[in-house]
Amino acid sequence: MVGINPKTDFTVGPWLKQNLNHTLGDNEIILGANAHIFLGKSESHPGDVEYFYGKPFTVVGILDPTGIGLDDSGFVTLSSVYDMAKGSEKTAIRKLEVNQGDISALMVGVDPNASRAEVAKNIEVLVPGVAVVSSKELMSSSISRQLESLTPGILLIGIGFWVISVLLIGALFSMIVNERRRELGLLQAVGATRKFIFRLVMLEAMELTAIGGIVGLALGSLVILLLKGPIASSMGIAYLWPGAWFIVLFAVGYLVMAVVTGIIAALYPAIVASRLEPYQAIRTGE
Amino acid sequence: MMIELQETAKTYESGGGRIKAVDNVSLKVDDGEFVAVVGHSGSGKTTLVSIMGGLTRPTSGRVLVAGTDIWTLDNEHLARLRSEQIGFCFQFSSLIPTLDSVDNVRLPASFASGERGSPARALELLETVGVKDKARAFPAELSGGQQRRVAIARALVNEPRIILADEPTGDLDEVTESEIMDLFQRLNKQGVTIVMVTHSQNLATKAGRILTMNAGALEAGAAV
Repeated sequence: MVGINPKTDFTVGPWLKQNLNHTLGDNEIILGANAHIFLGKSESHPGDVEYFYGKPFTVVGILDPTGIGLDDSGFVTLSSVYDMAKGSEKTAIRKLEVNQGDISALMVGVDPNASRAEVAKNIEVLVPGVAVVSSKELMSSSISRQLESLTPGILLIGIGFWVISVLLIGALFSMIVNERRRELGLLQAVGATRKFIFRLVMLEAMELTAIGGIVGLALGSLVILLLKGPIASSMGIAYLWPGAWFIVLFAVGYLVMAVVTGIIAALYPAIVASRLEPYQAIRTGE
Repeated sequence: MMIELQETAKTYESGGGRIKAVDNVSLKVDDGEFVAVVGHSGSGKTTLVSIMGGLTRPTSGRVLVAGTDIWTLDNEHLARLRSEQIGFCFQFSSLIPTLDSVDNVRLPASFASGERGSPARALELLETVGVKDKARAFPAELSGGQQRRVAIARALVNEPRIILADEPTGDLDEVTESEIMDLFQRLNKQGVTIVMVTHSQNLATKAGRILTMNAGALEAGAAV
C-alpha cells in the first residue's frame, strides 16, 4: 500500500488526471492490475470496498498492467495512511506503526538534462541521514537507451525486409501476368483497352496487399497480446499500450503502407501486361 | 468494302533469321461475304486474320475495316472497333475461366457502348447457339464443343458486322462441326461478313470464296 500526496505526486498522478474526474479522496484506493491477488480475490472492480486495518476504502480505479511492482500495489492518500494508523489501535488486531508526518520515500523528479548522479550526491550532502537509491526507473532508462541505440539497426532491417517484399510481390505479379497472358490477350480481343488491363492488374495487387495487410495486422496484434506478459516480466520494465488513437493511426498507416507496397511492386508487371500485343499474348499463352 | 488489305506484310525475328508470316498480301472482302482461308500449318492464315482484326500490327501495308485504316487508330479507338465491329472465334477454348457462360457472353458488351449486355440477351444468344441449358456453367464444366458455342455467342453479343473465326471447329466431332458451320451460314445469310481460317478443304466449301495461303502469300481467290 502506497500513500501518496495527490497534489505533488507524479507517479500515478497522470493516470489519475486522465481517468478519475476528481482528486483521490481520503477513503478511496486505486489498485494495481494484480492487487486483487493479494486481497484474495479473483478480480477487483471500481466500487468495491476493501478494509485495511479496519478502515474501509472504496476502489475508484484499476491501473493498467505495467509488468512491474506497481501492478501489485494499492494507492491511497498519505493522510488516509495516517488516519488508518491512528485508528488501527481500536479497529485492527495489530497496530500500524506509522506516525503523523512519517514518510518512507520521497520521489524526486529530475530535469531530463540534469545528471541524476549529481542530484543524488547533492541530496545526500544537503540532507544528512537520507539515502538516495536507484529506482527501477533508472534501470528502465538504461534499457530505453539500449533500445534507442538499437532502433537504427531495426529500422534498417525493416527497410531491407520492405525492399525484399516489394521485389517478391513484383516477381509474383510478373508470374501471374505471364500465366494469364492468354486471358489478358483475349480481354483485349473483346474490347479491353490497355488502360483497363493496367488498372485490372493494379487493382488486383492493391486488393491482395490490402488483404495481406489486414491478416498481418491481426496476426501481429495477436502475437503482441499473447506475448506482452512474458516480454514485460522478462525485461522488468513498464509495458504499456499506447493510446487508442495512436493504435488506430498506426493500423491505418500500416494498411496504407501495405497497399502502397502492392502498387509499387505491381507497377512494372502492370505496364508489361498493358503493352502485350493481343495476338502474341494469345499465342504465347497457349 | 468491308475489309481491305493493301500490300500487308508481317515479319518476325526468330533465331537470328526473319520469318515472313504474311508476305505482301492484298485482298478485299465485300460486305456480307463468307470467305474461307485455307493452307498448311504455318502458312500464315492465323496471322492474316489477326492483322485483319487489329490483334497484331503489320510490319507494312494498310488494313481498312469498313473504310477505316485501323492501324492509324489509337488504342482506345482500336479497342472500341474490336469490341463493336468484330467478333472473334478462336481455335482453342477462349472463355474466361472465372466467368460462367452468361457472363462470358456479356463480357464484350461491357467494353462497348449501348445496352447489349443484358443477361436476357446473353441467354437469347446461348439459345441461338444451342447451349442455353449451360448458362450458369463455368468453362471447366463444358465440353470443347459447348465452349466453342459459348464463344460464338460471345462473338455475336455486340452485333458485329464481321466475324473472324480461326479454326472454329478444330478438335470437334463431325456432328458439332456441322452444326457450327450451319450456324455460320445462318449468320452470313443475316448479313454478317465472315472470314474463317480452316485447314479443311471440306469445310472451306461451305464459304462463298476460298483463299489459299502458302508461305505467307495468297495463292489464288476462287468463287465456289
